[in-house]
Amino acid sequence: MDFKERILTAINHEEPDRVPVMGLILDRATSDRVLGKKPADIGSMLSNPELRDEIKDYMNSSWNDMYYGSWADVLEAAIKLGFDANWTVYAFMQAVEDPESKLGLVLHDVFGRVWELGVDEDGNMMSSYVRGLCTTEEEWDAWVERKRPLYDKLIENVADYHKRLADNYGDRILPIGFAGSGVFENTWQPMGFVNFSKFVYQKPDFVEKVIDFQTDVYLKCLDAVMRSGVEVVLGGDDLSQKTGPFMHPELIERLFGDSYRRVSELVHKRNRKLIWHSCGNIYALLDKFVEWGFDGILTMEPTAGMDLGKVREQVGHKLVLVGNLDVSYLLVRGTQEEVEAAVKKAIRDAAKGGGYILSAAHSHRLVDPTRLKWMIEAAHKYGKYTS
Amino acid sequence: MSGEILEQLKARLLDLDMDGAVELAELVAGGDVRIADAVNAISEGLEVVGQRFQRGEWFLTELVYAGEIARETMDLLSPLMETASSGPLGTVVVGTVAGDLHDLGKDIFINYARSAGFKLIDLGVDVPAEGFVSAVKEHHPLALGMSCLLTTTDSEIGKVIEGLKRQNVRDKVKVIIGGAALTEQFAENAGADAFAPDAVTGTDIIRGWGAS
Repeated sequence: MDFKERILTAINHEEPDRVPVMGLILDRATSDRVLGKKPADIGSMLSNPELRDEIKDYMNSSWNDMYYGSWADVLEAAIKLGFDANWTVYAFMQAVEDPESKLGLVLHDVFGRVWELGVDEDGNMMSSYVRGLCTTEEEWDAWVERKRPLYDKLIENVADYHKRLADNYGDRILPIGFAGSGVFENTWQPMGFVNFSKFVYQKPDFVEKVIDFQTDVYLKCLDAVMRSGVEVVLGGDDLSQKTGPFMHPELIERLFGDSYRRVSELVHKRNRKLIWHSCGNIYALLDKFVEWGFDGILTMEPTAGMDLGKVREQVGHKLVLVGNLDVSYLLVRGTQEEVEAAVKKAIRDAAKGGGYILSAAHSHRLVDPTRLKWMIEAAHKYGKYTS
Repeated sequence: MSGEILEQLKARLLDLDMDGAVELAELVAGGDVRIADAVNAISEGLEVVGQRFQRGEWFLTELVYAGEIARETMDLLSPLMETASSGPLGTVVVGTVAGDLHDLGKDIFINYARSAGFKLIDLGVDVPAEGFVSAVKEHHPLALGMSCLLTTTDSEIGKVIEGLKRQNVRDKVKVIIGGAALTEQFAENAGADAFAPDAVTGTDIIRGWGAS
C-alpha cells in the first residue's frame, strides 16, 4: 500500500498494511532541524525601526508566498521523516505597527483578531492570539463592512494555497487540508472571551449573527480546500481546555450544533472525510462529535487527561482516532524504549479494526525530530496488521 | 425585609441575571440594608458558583459571566463600605511566563479572583523572570501567579523562583502556577507552593493563604 491508500483505508475503519502515521503542524524549529536550515535573526531585525518597516512591507506584499514557503518546508520535513500524511494550514493576516507590542509589530487577521509576535530561542518568529478588535456589536459590524472584499480574497487564497501544496507534494505525502480555525474560535476570539460570555447572556441575537456569518465564511473556505484536490479535510475548534469544555455541551449544541452539522454535511456531499481537532479534555463532547457527523478526531492531549483507550471504549468505531503521543516529555526527552513502548500501547489501545492513525498529540518548538523518527519507525515495526 | 433582599441578591447572581442583581445592589446602596451584609451575600453566591464549576455543572462561560455580575454589583457597593472593611482580600500579581503569549487562562483567573475580592496586578504575557521579581518587590503581594501553556516555556517558572530567592523575597510571597503544560508534580519540583488546574481552585487556594 502507498501512503494514500494506507490513510484512506484506516479512515474507512478497515485495516491497512500497517498503522499510518500523520504529522501535525510541525513547528518551524522542528522542520528547520530536519532540513538543516538556520532561521533568520528576526528578533534583532525587528528591534531596528527601519528594518521593522521593511519586514512589515515584505510580510504584507508577500504574505502568500511566505506562508506557502513555510509550509512547503513543513511538508518536505514530514516526507523526510517518513510521515504518510501531514496537516496543512493557511491563515490570512496583515502586519500592523503597534507601539505597545513587544516587537512593535502585530498581526491582524481578517476576522478581527490580534496576534502578538514573539521570537523563540532559535530566532524563529512565533505568533499567538492575544485579543479581539470587535468588543462591541458596532465594532463588529464596522469591521465586517470594512473587510468585506477580503473574505472573497481569503477563499481564493485558501483554494490556491492548498492546490499548490497538493500539486507539488501530493505524490509523496497526503496533505490533510485545514479550513482554518473553526466557527467557535472565530466567533469568540474577535470579541474576547469575557465579552463573548457576556454577549451569550445579554445579546444572544448578536452572537447568533456572528455565528451565522462565520459559518458562511467557514463553509466557503472548506469548499475551497476540497476544490484543491485535498481528499481528507481537517476542521478544528479548541472547544475544551485542560479540565473540560469552555461551555456547557448543551449550550455548544444550541449555539454551534447546526453549524457543525452543516460542516459535516458539506464534506460528505463532496465525498470527503472530516477529521476534527480540539485541544483540551474532550470526553464530554465525544458524543456530540458523533452526533454532528464528524468522521474522526485528532489530538486527545494526555496533559488534559485524555487516554486513547478510554476514548476508543467510549466511541467505538464511530470515530477515527488520530493521536496522541505526549509532547510534554516523551517526544521531547523520552528514550527510544519509552517512545516504542508508547507506540505499542497506542496501537494496542486503538488500532484494532483500523480507524486509527498514529500522531503526536500536538506540536511545539522542542518536539525532537529524532523522537518523531523513532515514533514512525516503531509504527513500521509494531504496527503491521497481520489479518 | 433585609434578609429577603440579600437572598434575592444571591439568587439573581446564581440565575445569571445581571439586570436583576444590579437593580438589587442599587436598592441596597440607597436603603437600610447593611452594605457589608450585601457584599457577604455576593461572596456566598460566588462560592456556590465555584462549587458548581468544580462539580462540572457550570462551565467557563457561566463562571466568567457570574464574575462579571459580581464585579458590577461590587463596583456599586464597595465605595459605600466602611474604610476598615473595604480593602481587598489581598494583592495577587499575575502574568504569563516569558516566551508564552497565551492569556486566556490568566485572564479568566483574573476575572474570577477579582470578583472574589482580591486586588489583581496583571503583568500581561511574555513576562521575563525579572519582571515578576520586580513586581513582587514593588507590590508586596500575598501571592504570585504564573501561567504557562507551553512545555517549551515551563523552565521559566524555575527561573522566577530562583530570582525571588536571589532577591530575598521568596519567603514573602506564595507562588501558584497554572496552565496546560503544568501539573501538581511540576509545581512541587519547581519549588512553587501550589498548582491550580482552574481559576476556582486557584482562588480558593489563595483565599486559604490569606486567611492563615
